[in-house]
Amino acid sequence: MNTIIIDGLSFALPLFIMAIGGIYCERSGITNLAIEGLQGFGAFCGALFAVCIAQYFAGNSPIPFYLAMLFAFLGGMLFSLLHAMLCIKFKANQVISGVVINILAMALTEFMTKQINASIFGAASNKFVLGVSARLTVPVLSRIPVLGAVFTNLYPFEIVIAVIAVIAWYVLYKTRFGLHLRACGDNPHAVDAAGIEVSRVRLVAVMASGALSGLGGICFAYSISANFSSNIYSGYGYLAIAALIFGNWKIMPTLGACLLFGFARSGGYELVKVLEMPSSYQDLVMVLPYVLTLLMLIFFSKKNHSPKALGEIYDKGAR
Amino acid sequence: MKKNNKNILHKLILQTIGHEKRQQYMIPIFTIVLSLIFGLIVIALLGSNPFKAYYNLLQGSGLAPKASYAGHKGIITDFTSFLNALTPMLFAALAVLIALKAGLFNIGVSGQMLAAGFTATILIGYSDLPAVVAKPLTVLIGFIVGALAGALVGWLKHRFNINEVVSTIMFNYIFQYVISFLINTFYVDPVSRQSKNVGAAGRLTLVDMVIGDYKMDIPLGILLAAVGIAVTAFLLNKTILGFEIKAVGSSIRAAEYAGIRVGRTRVLAMMLSGGFAGLAGVTYYMGYFASIQPKVLVSTGYDAIAVALLGNSSPIGIIFSSFLITVISKGSTYMNSASGVQAEIASAITGIILLFSACGAYVRYKVDRWKDEQKQTGRLASDGRAAK
Repeated sequence: MNTIIIDGLSFALPLFIMAIGGIYCERSGITNLAIEGLQGFGAFCGALFAVCIAQYFAGNSPIPFYLAMLFAFLGGMLFSLLHAMLCIKFKANQVISGVVINILAMALTEFMTKQINASIFGAASNKFVLGVSARLTVPVLSRIPVLGAVFTNLYPFEIVIAVIAVIAWYVLYKTRFGLHLRACGDNPHAVDAAGIEVSRVRLVAVMASGALSGLGGICFAYSISANFSSNIYSGYGYLAIAALIFGNWKIMPTLGACLLFGFARSGGYELVKVLEMPSSYQDLVMVLPYVLTLLMLIFFSKKNHSPKALGEIYDKGAR
Repeated sequence: MKKNNKNILHKLILQTIGHEKRQQYMIPIFTIVLSLIFGLIVIALLGSNPFKAYYNLLQGSGLAPKASYAGHKGIITDFTSFLNALTPMLFAALAVLIALKAGLFNIGVSGQMLAAGFTATILIGYSDLPAVVAKPLTVLIGFIVGALAGALVGWLKHRFNINEVVSTIMFNYIFQYVISFLINTFYVDPVSRQSKNVGAAGRLTLVDMVIGDYKMDIPLGILLAAVGIAVTAFLLNKTILGFEIKAVGSSIRAAEYAGIRVGRTRVLAMMLSGGFAGLAGVTYYMGYFASIQPKVLVSTGYDAIAVALLGNSSPIGIIFSSFLITVISKGSTYMNSASGVQAEIASAITGIILLFSACGAYVRYKVDRWKDEQKQTGRLASDGRAAK
């Protein structure tokens, strides 16, 4: 039971932070299918930096990990500028732009990982080895029965994510900027009439989305895979999109969706272990979150309301 | 002065891609040239000779002679092998194209390929049917399985309003993991860790045919692909269904007012799209290759998006664009061994091409603006002369 909660949380929270980024982007009116590519590119930047500075720190020092998070944050933001440029400046189709960003991110990071490994580190390898980040347990709270598992064996990034999520929630719902952002997604003309530049608000939203996706990506690289390789592109970004659609583009319900995905996954793995099935059955467990997503979309898509101006190119002159 | 320079630049661009009829192919060519220049710079920065690397791409695809060949090999065997790789790409591009025409975005081509290829493999590939029966059945099963997978996506969109991008991605993962589980449990070859090879009877490529002095692989699917392109062109341009698909793709509301059943048309378009993806699957897994690697989705389905966009989503256009993309991807292995450039740069160049072609609409819009500006300045100038 404890492992289900511990592993489930460590999967759900990075997913949640990426979904929050997606919510920012989509509430501002820009469709974001690029989360998958953004998280991969962010993780690539973070991992590259961590590998480069690793020799200056002791093996168990947590500093490279925090710096990697910072650089993943910045890397994701940088790459999201491409999506912003295509969608806002070049008025490209936002779905196409998202898919293009994903393919490009995958191709570029794969190429650069191999090239950098070959030319700088002199090794023919297609990954950056990172290791798993250290875990910590909160002293008193972890003693609480059942719920104590939430505070046991935490990855440090889970705390960082929780803090950022609270800030993100506050900014989106309680500040002027958040109001403007949400208005951009529903009625950009009204925002424009109020004297606020729509494209600037959307630019900030896309960048926030890129930064948070990058953060989510590096968390996966430091926990599940323990390295950066093309394995990072195994659909976490799309799961985040599914979570935010299921969460009706609101932050709290989206948290629920992410937790559900996380627990379904860890619960499935636990089941395979308890029933002592051969490891190939893990593939069937991996299917669970995706099947769940489809089923939920079938049941909830009628009730959901996407932001009204989502995916529409903002044209000042249009009536 | 600066403004003058800018005007000259505008004029130059206008002269090359300004003409509306020429825009159709001039913008893709522009895109390609820009991307190739980008690749040139990257390869040069990495310290290799970019022109040699590009020539290696042609050599690897059997379009230019290599320095030396192994026994029974020659430029012609490389070329048939290239055609072998081209066939699934053509089908996959057709799949993306038909969905695009209906305003739908099929990113599930890879998953549909896998589902069709796997079903045909276990039903026909592992059976003892004679070649005359097996080959048509492979094609048929590939089409049907792909069409069903595509139709399901279309139906989910129509009935439950589920975005086809999200559902196709979910299906990609579901197919990938379920089929990987099935292969690992029932059909695995313990040595290669892939599915067991299919028999020659059902395979859509004639392997190691001895012709003259050469041993070559002859892809039968390429003929089928040619038929597929012709049928698609006919369907889109000459039939009612084609018209309805294009109408739905241009404006759902207008199509509804015109009395077109939007839901039905979308499901049909996705079905055709899936069917072509299925054909891509059988020509890939039971033609170009003879086995399936578990847990891997081929990149063909994603590259096909680049191909379709680059080919201006026209059936004729994709012949050229899939030719180009296949040259880049197929030749990259040889480029790696001959010039030492990482083969992964091929997909990076494809990605850049895709990025630039996404900007195509903007370029068209910008060029039109410049044209108007020039007309106006031209008019002003002639007015000025008249006044004098």
